[in-house]
Amino acid sequence: MPDEEVLEEGVLNPVKPEIQDPLLQAILAENEAAPATAPTELEQPAPLPELTEIVDCVVIGTGAGGAPLLARLAMAGLKVVALEAGPRRDPTRDYATDEKAQNFLFWNDERLSAGQNPVAFGKNNSGTGVGGSTLHYTAYTPRAHADDLTLHRDFGQGVDWPFGIEELEPYYEELEHFLGISGPTPYPWNPGRRKGYPLAPLPLNGAAQLMQRACAQLGIQTSPAANAALSARYYQEGIGWREACTNRGFCQAGCNRGAKASMDVTFLPLAESYGAEIRADAFVTEIERDAAGRVTGVVYEQHGQTVRQLCRHLFLCAGAVETPRLLMLNELALSSGHVGKNFMAHPGMQVWGTFPEDIRPYKGIPGGLISEDTHRPKNADFAGGYLLQSIGVMPVTFATQMVRQRKLWGQALRDYMRNYNHVAGINILGDCLPHKANFLELSEEKDARGLPKPRLHFTAQENEQRMNRHAEQLMRQIWEAAGATDIWAFERYAHVIGTARMGLSGDDAVVNSDGRAFDVPNLYICDNSVFPSALSVNPALTIMALSLRTADKFLASLR
Amino acid sequence: MPQYPAGTVRALLSTDLVTPATRAALEARLVSTTGYEPQFFDPATYALLEAVAARIFPQPERDEPIALAPGIDKRLAAGLADGWRYDAMPPDREAFRLGLGGINQAAQAQFQQLFIDLSEAEQDAVLKQVAAGTALGDNWNTVPQNRFFEDLLAELTENYYAHPLVQEEIGYVGMADVPGWQRIGLNEREDREPKPVSK
Repeated sequence: MPDEEVLEEGVLNPVKPEIQDPLLQAILAENEAAPATAPTELEQPAPLPELTEIVDCVVIGTGAGGAPLLARLAMAGLKVVALEAGPRRDPTRDYATDEKAQNFLFWNDERLSAGQNPVAFGKNNSGTGVGGSTLHYTAYTPRAHADDLTLHRDFGQGVDWPFGIEELEPYYEELEHFLGISGPTPYPWNPGRRKGYPLAPLPLNGAAQLMQRACAQLGIQTSPAANAALSARYYQEGIGWREACTNRGFCQAGCNRGAKASMDVTFLPLAESYGAEIRADAFVTEIERDAAGRVTGVVYEQHGQTVRQLCRHLFLCAGAVETPRLLMLNELALSSGHVGKNFMAHPGMQVWGTFPEDIRPYKGIPGGLISEDTHRPKNADFAGGYLLQSIGVMPVTFATQMVRQRKLWGQALRDYMRNYNHVAGINILGDCLPHKANFLELSEEKDARGLPKPRLHFTAQENEQRMNRHAEQLMRQIWEAAGATDIWAFERYAHVIGTARMGLSGDDAVVNSDGRAFDVPNLYICDNSVFPSALSVNPALTIMALSLRTADKFLASLR
Repeated sequence: MPQYPAGTVRALLSTDLVTPATRAALEARLVSTTGYEPQFFDPATYALLEAVAARIFPQPERDEPIALAPGIDKRLAAGLADGWRYDAMPPDREAFRLGLGGINQAAQAQFQQLFIDLSEAEQDAVLKQVAAGTALGDNWNTVPQNRFFEDLLAELTENYYAHPLVQEEIGYVGMADVPGWQRIGLNEREDREPKPVSK
């Protein structure tokens, strides 16, 4: 930890900065006048509770990267402890069907967004709580394609993954059946799969039907999407029967029925049933090492206490912002120079329109329909490709995104929003190439814990811009064919990828093909930060597949 | 554009179609904020924020317009963030202090008056300049005005459309989801979803 003077100097946004405000000044003065006893005691550094037990593995983070491997390691009989920065909640009791009330699902510590296309965090691209960002993911679960892993081979751009799709396929199969994925069998863009989806697709909502109708006219193949919400009751080891989705449409603000396969209703109860311990509200600040550079334990803050947990192996699964941030704060595994570099974000352009039909966009899973005809478009002037999805949306999310793009205000804004029940959207999810202009760094500005805030630079480069142009034209065409009026496009970037990438050599990658840090023999990293390329599909299923694979590679290394 | 009947969401809130957690969240917003004392802003700056909010969300039809300034004041007083900010912007409290000050500077430059003393049309003219990034004022050297306007607009919009009366206005009843939704396709409506009263 920095000493106090340095900390004070660096604080640009301290917890109580606005002393120029006369009212606040008065309040602060009043508060300070009352109790004057505590400070001297606080000056004493609290001794760390002596936790002498050395556990086999500590896992930092309980999202798609941490939860599957936690279960795998526990099932192998290892003593494992997961540290989750956020709280544990009971969705049935605590979740409201209200977007604003659900803001606790997001990582709300401030991140600084720089570059020509600053990436939004908070409601998108972040998560906290036992289950991580799977608590609010849309649960799209398409598999990556074989050629998603070979962009460099095929286009001479980006880098290839250090292994082929055959390394992921067994895990995709396992996950689809364990989580209870609802989806089409056969899958139109990969009909030769060994196993189909265990459940039938979820029903199509208004936006999905509009996209289906228009794409049929235009000769674009569509299908109900694969989604990790249950279309029928499903048995879950470690938890029992999970109930089917009731089309609440609230996936992005938390499922209160356990129908959506977030980690808190799947891998985490499984892990606990095999003896894993999950400590919530545990924010890791330090990773300790011995003289040989091996990790010996971690230090975390929990309920105002500082705790040390010793471990034989560490799995860092905190997501592509907090993972590199922890590595940088601890000056760990930095020798490749690639920690924080290669930050990629999926082009996620949306096109919206107003329709005469009654749509009521709050009903049904948001992304009911998919097309992967654009995975490698014939007329493309860019590397890689994208997929298309229909989108339903909740009113607050829709309104705030819309005003950021269209800048409507006054009566025009209120009038536009009266058509909320008649709006529907389509969006893409496209591949992104790494570029030296896009990276994460630690800023000078400190957060309330006294730690530097992360700053993320992102500028869409030529390839992303060309893909966006291609996609916007196509989506406008589809929405015109569907009968939309007042069509508008929203350029956005979703998912945070690639800040501690995997590769064959420690010269240009942070972890090897097993997920182990080149610099630190008992440190594994598993989350979206290790992706060598962004993929042209939603990342959650692949993060989980990597998580199971990382656990298996680690377990094999112990034998 | 569709007009929906008043009272739909409020009627649903008293039924078991809404979960207790959902009811608690929405009913809290129905409590009047008349007489709210700002905790973060000084009175003059708070009045300025109220005046700006009244032009971004004009509510001439409401006897008691939905108050949008308290939400921002409370958030800034508590030091809460929403997970990110544009790197080009100063920290939120500083951004609001400078940005609102900049609106007054723009009003002075064009009309030689404070923003709150301007007519509605003049206030709109000032806001239009800020939105377009063409307003005058020293503060805009420190705060990019188009980003300030965007952030302010987005926060006011979040607070406005989270309000149950506004959700009635746009015909949204997604909060009444205890039984789930069976009729989800095009032009399919369940009994508890309001029909427009006119187009």
